Amino acid sequence: MIQLRFSFALGVLAGAVAFAQGPPPGHFGGGDFEFMHAHMGMQKLVKGAPYSAQAVSQYTQTLADGSHIQRSTTSSVARDSEGRTRREETIGAIGALASSTASPKAVFIHDPVAGSAYMLNPASKTAHVSQPRNFTLNSDATSASEPSARTAHTRSNAQVKTEELGTQTMDGLTVQGKRITKTIAAGQIGNEHQLQVVTEVWYSQDLQTTVMSTTTDPRTGVSTYKLTNISRAEPDPTLFQVPADYKLTQGGGGHGHARQ
Amino acid sequence: MNDNELKLLEGLRCLAADGPREAPASVEHRLVGELRRRSRVRRRNRWLGLGAFGAIAATLAVTLWIRTAPVDQKPTLARSQAPIAVKAAEPQPPAAVAPAYERGAEVAINFYPLPDADELPPIESATIVRVQLPMSSLRLMGLPVTEDRAAEFIQADMLLGQDGLARGVHFVR
Repeated sequence: MIQLRFSFALGVLAGAVAFAQGPPPGHFGGGDFEFMHAHMGMQKLVKGAPYSAQAVSQYTQTLADGSHIQRSTTSSVARDSEGRTRREETIGAIGALASSTASPKAVFIHDPVAGSAYMLNPASKTAHVSQPRNFTLNSDATSASEPSARTAHTRSNAQVKTEELGTQTMDGLTVQGKRITKTIAAGQIGNEHQLQVVTEVWYSQDLQTTVMSTTTDPRTGVSTYKLTNISRAEPDPTLFQVPADYKLTQGGGGHGHARQ
Repeated sequence: MNDNELKLLEGLRCLAADGPREAPASVEHRLVGELRRRSRVRRRNRWLGLGAFGAIAATLAVTLWIRTAPVDQKPTLARSQAPIAVKAAEPQPPAAVAPAYERGAEVAINFYPLPDADELPPIESATIVRVQLPMSSLRLMGLPVTEDRAAEFIQADMLLGQDGLARGVHFVR
């Protein structure tokens, strides 16, 4: 019995030391980050423009030897006439950052009419009651430990040019295009030649949503987002409801918890 | 002194001559028992009174505290954790119906805008993802990281737009 207690105490001690030290290098098995959990952020409220579609996000990076890294994720999105939204997605990457393990599939439902919001976990059949998190983007949101000083310098010295690209038809929708080119002068970030980061955005006034966007950054690669299979019919109302066999939960973190 | 008074005096003298008289032991036993019972009752009543007074005082104190306490207390935050420590207000547990959340009840989380996200499309549908990552990974988002800190692991909240690209970062620890 004493031996058992000693072994348990030793295990707890070893675990505490391991936790305090954090994951060892290479812990993410080739990924750049480890997913922990997700929350719904604030949603743009649009009424009278229902649609449903597949949202495809692709990322391509060309390596020095000419080979490529490619990733693609597909989400299902829907919005009804009252402004309710549903987004079903799996987070496997954040731009150039690859996750060590993909997040569990999550369904985010926002119902501004009822004033309710949920994150559904189809695997456990649970619906987490959650308020969409409000946020601000503010460069003052920094602390001494954050690597931000040179960032502000980089931004202020970059040249930005915006061009209108006219209109096109995509998936039956009229969209208006805009190209934004940010030029980073030579030497600004240690670069030998000037760099150009180009973003193209195609926006539908009818749907009041971005239908396609592409960002080309020579440092990280090309990111593309595109809505496909767009239907402007009113989505099935049950898409914005918690299924009857789901259990409601609340409190704690958000969806996921691959590691805590 | 008349005859009656003389008889009474004679009787008293006879009684005094008999010596001191005591009550029977059974009477004394009953008398002592009764005195002890009354003493116990008095002590119990005193404690009951004190208990009732304490309960009333405690009730008054709690009522006053509830009335005077601020309804929406904002947490005091450590600088290194300031924005992320602000936890949004959770709605009350639902019954069978969809619960309504309180609009405007939450505190906004401040994200530091990423340098390469300036020109991305505006956020229409946001997702906030908490991740753990080595500092070196931040370089892929355009943030400069010195070599001596590159191996450190941190937790951060990433603000993602509908396209899955990060617009801002918030360091947790």
